[in-house]
Amino acid sequence: MPAKPKVAFFDFAGCEGDQLQVANLEERLLDLVSHIDIVRFREIKTEKRDNYDIAFVEGSITRPEDEPRIREIRENAKILVAIGACATIGGINCLKNFINESEYKATVYGDFSRWYSTYAARPVSAVVKVDMDIHGCPIDKNEFARAVKELLLGKIYSPPKYPVCVECKMAGNICRFEQGRLCLGIVTRAGCGACCVNEGSVCWGCRGIAPDANMDAAGQVMDEHGFTWLEAQDHLRLYFGCNINKL
Amino acid sequence: MIAYTIYLPQTRELLKNWATELNVYVPTMVEDGFYEFRPWNGQVEIAWDYDLCYTTLKRFFLPPREEIISFDMKKYAASPVIEAPKQLLFGVHPYDIKAINQLDQLMEMDNPDVNYQARRDNTLIFGLEPVHVAETAFWSSMGAASVDFGYDLYWTRISPGAFFVQVGSARGEEMLKVGGPVEKSSVAQKEAARRAHLKVLAEAQKHSLKYDWQKTPELVNKFFNNQVFWRERSQTCLSCGSCVLVCPTCYCFDVKEEADDLLQKGSRYRQWDGCMLKGFAEIAGGHNFRETAWERYRHRYMRKGKYIYDKLGELGCIGCGRCVKACTARIANPRAVYNEIWEAIKNEV
Repeated sequence: MPAKPKVAFFDFAGCEGDQLQVANLEERLLDLVSHIDIVRFREIKTEKRDNYDIAFVEGSITRPEDEPRIREIRENAKILVAIGACATIGGINCLKNFINESEYKATVYGDFSRWYSTYAARPVSAVVKVDMDIHGCPIDKNEFARAVKELLLGKIYSPPKYPVCVECKMAGNICRFEQGRLCLGIVTRAGCGACCVNEGSVCWGCRGIAPDANMDAAGQVMDEHGFTWLEAQDHLRLYFGCNINKL
Repeated sequence: MIAYTIYLPQTRELLKNWATELNVYVPTMVEDGFYEFRPWNGQVEIAWDYDLCYTTLKRFFLPPREEIISFDMKKYAASPVIEAPKQLLFGVHPYDIKAINQLDQLMEMDNPDVNYQARRDNTLIFGLEPVHVAETAFWSSMGAASVDFGYDLYWTRISPGAFFVQVGSARGEEMLKVGGPVEKSSVAQKEAARRAHLKVLAEAQKHSLKYDWQKTPELVNKFFNNQVFWRERSQTCLSCGSCVLVCPTCYCFDVKEEADDLLQKGSRYRQWDGCMLKGFAEIAGGHNFRETAWERYRHRYMRKGKYIYDKLGELGCIGCGRCVKACTARIANPRAVYNEIWEAIKNEV
């Protein structure tokens, strides 16, 4: 990679909230751009070039025409990084995968649904090779900065493989199950610092299923804590939709 | 034994005095039925009768994340970082003191842990006799119902308005007299403290090991190769590490580094890790010494029941019961597992 790699941002189906998190780095971004050259990032600049080394891709693949576009990005980039739940695990776009096609098309596009081509939502890695994932909905800006720095130092950042419980214990939170609440921290990949639980909520699973999560055990735990199958399913489908074969 | 009697109204004045010198932490109720040590600021209501502080106290000596070295990548220079704020933990139960005593020994063995020791040296510990026992606790049968050392003062509530305060160190005594002379305890007050201890002991003994804890290393070792036993119990293990992270005697950590945004300086830090996490025993090339959940599950009981005993002559479990609560799958209870092993071996003959 060149001394000052060129960096570009792209988005597919998503809210662009992950790029917003990058923009939210504010003055820290100024320090980082002493080492990178941002050639394409529509949230912060109008000028754009198609010559880049690192591509950050946000959003999921939801239309046939997304495929040639992502393939082209893959071809141009030396390193392709998926950012945010939509890109890394399919995210909440995958909620539509549980509804039949005519129904979701009619709900979203109404009378014009015939004009739009759309199919089941998938993560970027379902179509092209992804070199690195930055998880979260939205991503954590500190983790993004860290991942960029590791790339610059010649490393690939790997997020923790353990579940969120680890970070909850470090933060000193009272376990949500002890409070009688349903929490996906027991099977969700950590790296967020248990931010939602720290703020009083529960883990929603936005970083995806931890690589070695014991989903059978999680089912039993939810059951034994008095949650119904339906409650658990609603919670699990929100982000884990694309991994439904594991559910 | 030197002991003084302190009356409840006096404690407020003492706390005020201590708080000018160091960070004072006291047990308080943070949520219905959940207690934590929080900084004392005059407004915090001290839970004198707390049963268990939810988070382990090891975080005061071994924080979840701690910088240990700062380095400069341009100058190729590095310097150690040692932070050790002056602190006082007021109201520590004996089993937690025993856990800290154990950590003190472990952190001194082999390569002394200077960061831990610096924090520990700057910490005063005032013990407190419990009056309630957490339903998951079994410390009375782990030899942790009382401690002979590891505290600067040891407080026992002998009446609604009075404490029998036993001196454990010169520094502790000094702290007690910081606001002027205090009353020496009478024989009757000493007797009241002894009775208070016996009362809570009787309560604690309702949950105990069915055998003498000293047999644990031998028993658990006999079961090392009983794969069926370990596999069966670990089937619902989430490998989430909660049991070891909340454990007051677990001290494993991982070491990581992060550069600053200009890629000029950086810091090396350590953060809590645990043998129940899959990545813990993973090494270069992807090999893993404890690849499966059942091996990790067994390791924890071996660690608590035998390996620490082999080093120190005491168990690695002090019976606080934090892991019992923390495990959502309800499989981390050392008392239950050791009792089962004991029973199985007893019935073999």
